[in-house]
Amino acid sequence: MLPLLLLLLATAHGLEETRSVPILASSSLGGLTTASTFVLEQPRCVFTNVQEDTVIWLVVATVEGTHTFNNSVAPGTPERAFQRFPTTASAYMTLNTTLLNYPCTTAPGAITVLRVGSETSCAKNPMRPTCNGPLPGPGPYQVKFLALADSKPVSETGWSEPITLRTAQPPGSIPTMGSGRSAGMIALTSILSILFAILLAGLVAMLVFGGLDACGGSSTLSKAEAVTVRRYNTHHVYDQPAARL
Amino acid sequence: MAKSNDGVRILQGLLVLGNVVIGMCGIALTAECIFFVSDPHGLYPLLEATENDDIYAAAWIGIFVGFALFALSILGIVGVIKSSRTLLLVYIILMLITYAFEMASCITAATHQDFLTPNLFLKQMLERYQKSETENNNDKWMTEGVTKTWNKLMLQNQCCGVRGPSDWQEYTSAFRATHNDADFPWPRNCCVMDAQGSPVNLDGCKLGVPGYYNSNGCYDAISGPMNTHAWGVAWFGFAILCWTFCVLLGTMFYWSRIEY
Repeated sequence: MLPLLLLLLATAHGLEETRSVPILASSSLGGLTTASTFVLEQPRCVFTNVQEDTVIWLVVATVEGTHTFNNSVAPGTPERAFQRFPTTASAYMTLNTTLLNYPCTTAPGAITVLRVGSETSCAKNPMRPTCNGPLPGPGPYQVKFLALADSKPVSETGWSEPITLRTAQPPGSIPTMGSGRSAGMIALTSILSILFAILLAGLVAMLVFGGLDACGGSSTLSKAEAVTVRRYNTHHVYDQPAARL
Repeated sequence: MAKSNDGVRILQGLLVLGNVVIGMCGIALTAECIFFVSDPHGLYPLLEATENDDIYAAAWIGIFVGFALFALSILGIVGVIKSSRTLLLVYIILMLITYAFEMASCITAATHQDFLTPNLFLKQMLERYQKSETENNNDKWMTEGVTKTWNKLMLQNQCCGVRGPSDWQEYTSAFRATHNDADFPWPRNCCVMDAQGSPVNLDGCKLGVPGYYNSNGCYDAISGPMNTHAWGVAWFGFAILCWTFCVLLGTMFYWSRIEY
């Protein structure tokens, strides 16, 4: 009963509800949703039955705000001021432009988007209640487009799906403990240690055993120039004592 | 005796050849380590900020070990040809000391390579890039190093973040503390720049339109040179040590067979 009543009220005021809802832009955009902004497709070819000098507003509201939203509250009033969102104002209106800026024909390859939250200069300025300032939290938010002619609502889209923005983690949550030792490093360490141990053992063996003169001597290496062969002439040795006697 | 003489000659020849190879490898190791220490890619500030620059210590040791290997190989050749027990004993002992140093260098380089993971650089980038309040001089020096290096990296390699620009969105950072999210979803250097150094299309960059911002991550540009560095020091050193092991064993055997 209630929805029927709302629809009747709407048509009684002449408010046309288009069948489309605002959608987020193509997901190939890297900055589709950030921590305080999001990107919508422009409402082209959506408002077809209104006059050309109608002003199209974007309404951004919290999910609770969509239930209590009243189309007749004018933009720029404290109830719709960006600076009071979401504490005292459950919705705000911004990004106003005439229908001429949303023509039906688009150049091929053109990017037709609206970046919600891009104006940082007026975010804290209460004299600019229709500021397109960065959103204060991750949401979720719902948006719709509202067409006003002479400050009276003439057409609107439906509420979008709830849009949730990104929440950033603190960098301390990144785990940096090493992934353990790799196989290569373990192999390298163990092989080198074994080789070094063999070398030390070889050094000890060399000093202990190699220092002793080899008794057999069959494989000793002789220095060619140091060896002199002494020739024993036995005849002279025997002759001398005989000569003395 | 003749046969043993031939054996002697062959062993001497082999040892001389082995030492020649060691000498050349020592020169190559020195040259390679000097190349790494000179930091051609400008990545040293990133390592310095991790407070663990073992790879560079390993490369420094490699420079001196390379010289030592070259000098000792000459000593070894002289000792083998002269069959001098003293020279060869000195050679063996000094070679063992050099061996130990080179072993330390290889193991350090291999161990440190495992330490360098994407998460390490991500955390460092988030915590230090464009950090505005630094605690002391050391902190300030490291922060400036990290900031300059990242700016240069992102410009020269046309990349953004460690894994991609989403790093700046998924985590809060020191950069985020001074640059609000709506104006700077990611640093300016992530935008495609024109010849004058300003973004080609700033709105396109902020929106994340492909072609106006760098959508790939910089980790490949960091890990490529560092892995080459670590592998060059660790595994080339390992190869040299394996060869040196054989030559040293041969020298010890030769020494033990020299007559007084």
